[in-house]
Amino acid sequence: MRHIYVAIWTLAALLLSCVSLSAQTADSTAIQPLLQQHQAVISKSSRKTIGPAIDAIAASGLPQAQQVLQVWAAKDMWMRKSDGHFFIGEKVEGKTYRLTDFDSGDVVGEFQKGDLKQLKPNSGIRALIATALVQFQLTDPDPAARADALQSIARDPSADQLAPLRASINGEADAALAAQKLRLERLLTIRFGASDAERIGAIEDMAGDLGVDLRATLNPVVATVREAAPALPDANIAKTLTIGEDITSTDAYALLVAAKLAPAPVSDDAIRTALADHMDGGRVGDVPVAQLSDPAQRLKAYAGLADAGKVAPLVSEADIAQALASHVIYDRYLDPSPAVTAAAAKSLKGIEVKVALNQTLDLGLDALSLASIYFLAAIGLAITFGVMGVINMAHGEFIMMGAYTGYVVQQIVPDHTLSILIAIPTAFAVTFAAGVAMERLVIRHLYARPLETLLATFGISIALQQLAKNIFGTQARPLTAPGWLDGAWVMNDVVSISYIRIAIFVLALIFLAVFLFIMKRTRLGLDTRAVTQNPAMAAQMGINPGRVNMLTFGLGSGIAGVAGVAIGLFAKVTSELGSDYIVQSFMTVVVGGVGNIWGTLAGAALIGFLQKGIEWLNPSNTLAAQTYMIIFIIIFIQFRPRGIIALKGRAAGD
Amino acid sequence: MQRSFIARNPSVLIFLALLALFTLVVTVLSEGAGAGFISTSFIKTLGKTLCLCLIAVAMDLIWGFAGILSLGHFAFFGLGGYMIGMWLMYERTRLIVVESLSQTELPPTDAEVIDAIGTQIFGVVGSSDFPLIWAFADSLVLQLALVVLVPGVLALIFGWLAFRSRVTGVYLSILTQAMTLALALYLFQNDSGLRGNNGLSGLQNLPGVTASQDIVSLWFLWASAFALGAGYFLAAWVVSGKFGSVIRGIRDNEARVRFLGYSVEAYKLALFTLTACLAAIAGALYYPQAGIINPAEIAPIASIYLAVWVAIGGRGRLYGAVIGAAFVSLLSTWFTGGQAPDLPLGSYTVKWVDWWLVLLGVSFVLVTLFAPKGIGGLFDLIPTKKGAEE
Repeated sequence: MRHIYVAIWTLAALLLSCVSLSAQTADSTAIQPLLQQHQAVISKSSRKTIGPAIDAIAASGLPQAQQVLQVWAAKDMWMRKSDGHFFIGEKVEGKTYRLTDFDSGDVVGEFQKGDLKQLKPNSGIRALIATALVQFQLTDPDPAARADALQSIARDPSADQLAPLRASINGEADAALAAQKLRLERLLTIRFGASDAERIGAIEDMAGDLGVDLRATLNPVVATVREAAPALPDANIAKTLTIGEDITSTDAYALLVAAKLAPAPVSDDAIRTALADHMDGGRVGDVPVAQLSDPAQRLKAYAGLADAGKVAPLVSEADIAQALASHVIYDRYLDPSPAVTAAAAKSLKGIEVKVALNQTLDLGLDALSLASIYFLAAIGLAITFGVMGVINMAHGEFIMMGAYTGYVVQQIVPDHTLSILIAIPTAFAVTFAAGVAMERLVIRHLYARPLETLLATFGISIALQQLAKNIFGTQARPLTAPGWLDGAWVMNDVVSISYIRIAIFVLALIFLAVFLFIMKRTRLGLDTRAVTQNPAMAAQMGINPGRVNMLTFGLGSGIAGVAGVAIGLFAKVTSELGSDYIVQSFMTVVVGGVGNIWGTLAGAALIGFLQKGIEWLNPSNTLAAQTYMIIFIIIFIQFRPRGIIALKGRAAGD
Repeated sequence: MQRSFIARNPSVLIFLALLALFTLVVTVLSEGAGAGFISTSFIKTLGKTLCLCLIAVAMDLIWGFAGILSLGHFAFFGLGGYMIGMWLMYERTRLIVVESLSQTELPPTDAEVIDAIGTQIFGVVGSSDFPLIWAFADSLVLQLALVVLVPGVLALIFGWLAFRSRVTGVYLSILTQAMTLALALYLFQNDSGLRGNNGLSGLQNLPGVTASQDIVSLWFLWASAFALGAGYFLAAWVVSGKFGSVIRGIRDNEARVRFLGYSVEAYKLALFTLTACLAAIAGALYYPQAGIINPAEIAPIASIYLAVWVAIGGRGRLYGAVIGAAFVSLLSTWFTGGQAPDLPLGSYTVKWVDWWLVLLGVSFVLVTLFAPKGIGGLFDLIPTKKGAEE
């Protein structure tokens, strides 16, 4: 008996000393004792058992905890074999390592590698450590580190990040980061919240939000899987499918086969293989091989084999119908809670409506910018073709010349803002000169013969295009926009428009104003209108028609050159740049109504919105969109042969 | 009493005789059947040139005689090529598939054969099903009928829409250009059913024909020469009668012809459709010699070159179109084929591969400005008793 008492007392004393020891360590600020408590687990380094050790370190509240975890994950933590203590190891030279204490930060000494053991956590353990580190990163004094942590959580959310995230919200000093944290907390709650009520609350909090992240969170919640079963199981069923309406019987039967509820149907390939395998003396069963090119005979031969038990029996239509009749096909939510999926589905529906509205707005902006591009490309034509009636097939090449001028200027002046500012007047001057030369040399002689103007200017177009190819080569040349035009104006996750497109829209408006000003408010405009209406009469009044025609044509060409600089900013500058726009430009002018700048504007708007509209109906196929648009225009011309805004009376001329 | 058509148009007879002589000489000198002076590839070039002459005749009919500058006739040319190409490709693939399937133990079913053909033809565009438009591809007779019918109906519908709303002059030109652009863009899609930008290929191999390409190229040369001769004769006959007078009247003063009580639209439409059919036949003969057809052939630029040929050859005279097409397209082949010698200009050497198009463009401008009658105008300089032809 005494022995037992002694043993108990000894044990009690031992226990007491242990408790006092642990109490002492808990009070102190050293982390080494904590590591020693889990020494065995840590040095064993197993994914299965390491959890409590990591949690204990993370929850210790000690300032060294983060360093320990980081050093550990980086494989820089070493254990001294003599006493099992852990240190930061650092290679000095050869096999000598310098150890540093976690708590004091002092160098303990230099040791041989043989006396030490390096801890090499595997990827599973490192993932656990990384999760544990999240809470430190979320409260890191550096705001950039906190933002990084938030981003990494948003990229790859998991349930165990929720608690540290919530804990870090209150202490957040930065307002923007606090908002981000709150938003992320709501999103994580939707996915990983502990109770249905909590998750539904989060879903309702976020209702109507347009963020892509919210949709990316809600969509997995309402994800379904299609299954077949003999009877409807007790699960979160989204929908029971009706065969023939929601799903074809072939697909439904394939589901049954996949669920091993029905035998697989014998495919034509399988029949052929089976028949080939059982050929015997020029016959399969009692059917001669020569007759097997007939599908009916093949079935007959296969049925013979099946009756003989050599192959799997055919699955007949009746079998399929019967199998389908005795099973239900349903979509099941992966999420088990009906209340949550219903709330998520309702929220998504609300978001979809808002997204659709915003997409319409976005599409409208896209269409507007496309219309401005067409308007830019066509406005020069509106002068040469619309006002003067000259068909200039080389108009596209003037656009190309403007773009190449921009490129050349950029080679000389490296500053992008300055070079664009120089390029615009230079391009105008170059194409103005080219236009004047062309008018004097060629077009002047052909005013009475419009079809031949078309052909002659086409000859010029071929020559200019090839000339550009010879000078600049066939590869695309860059015309870089200035830095302040990079980026986009983002209204929300759905609606955004790049600054370049806004700039082009503004440029189109400026062109419109310049055109109106010149035509309505200047002497040149008055002369031009007079010469266009009646050259002989204008000449009688003292206007020199040759000079006016020359200047007007030069003006139209110069505007094409400036448009070229703008188009070159977002399109590839190649020798084919102009020919890509020429047909659309003529369409714009013709659809809008020749001889009227508002018509050109209307034409550009119609074509731009139409093309975007068709692209929206069939987003995968911009080629088809262009095809349908041209067909639409051909039909449109049937009903308004003179365009949207037709000149009336004498001005219509022809 | 009216003299016969031939007697009134001696140039037709001269042309046909020259064409026959040309074909005969080429055959005699060819690699396949004669002395071997002319290579098979050049025979093909000549055969293709004859087809281009035929479409130029069609272009001259519609532009030179009726004043309608169509910039879309290569769409009809290409469609004709596609129609014959469908049969050639289907039939050749079928023979190959049947041959390879006959190696298997079981005789194939019809469905298996068609499936294998479909995989062969449409594999490049990631499909194996036959689109609806291939429904008649297995029948040569039907497909030959479609060569004329499809472009003909397209021309009829397009022409009816355009002429009915009195679209004339440059507007019509731009509209025809839009039509050919739309067609080319449509065919560029992979799901157009005609293999997208891969086009149809291997057309030079006639299914079931074991003769070598040397011989086959001669067949096509003869066929092209015959088609050109027949087309030329037809065109000359059309423009020599009352119909020809009316369409020339439309060219010169459309309003006056209308006021005289003629249905201008009907005349234009008939001529537009006829020329589209001629263009389609030319295309159907051209592409088996070229071996491949893809949507790039239909691009608007091709139709504009056609106008260039006719303008350089001389509008309003059929032999002018033939001369222009033959001259410019052969010259183009010579220059772009790299056979033309480079022209050293001191520090810069003019490589004709690069500069040919510049030369063509500039000479085109010059012809338009200074020689509106084109090369054919030179014939007017030959003094005749009865004055100029036509």
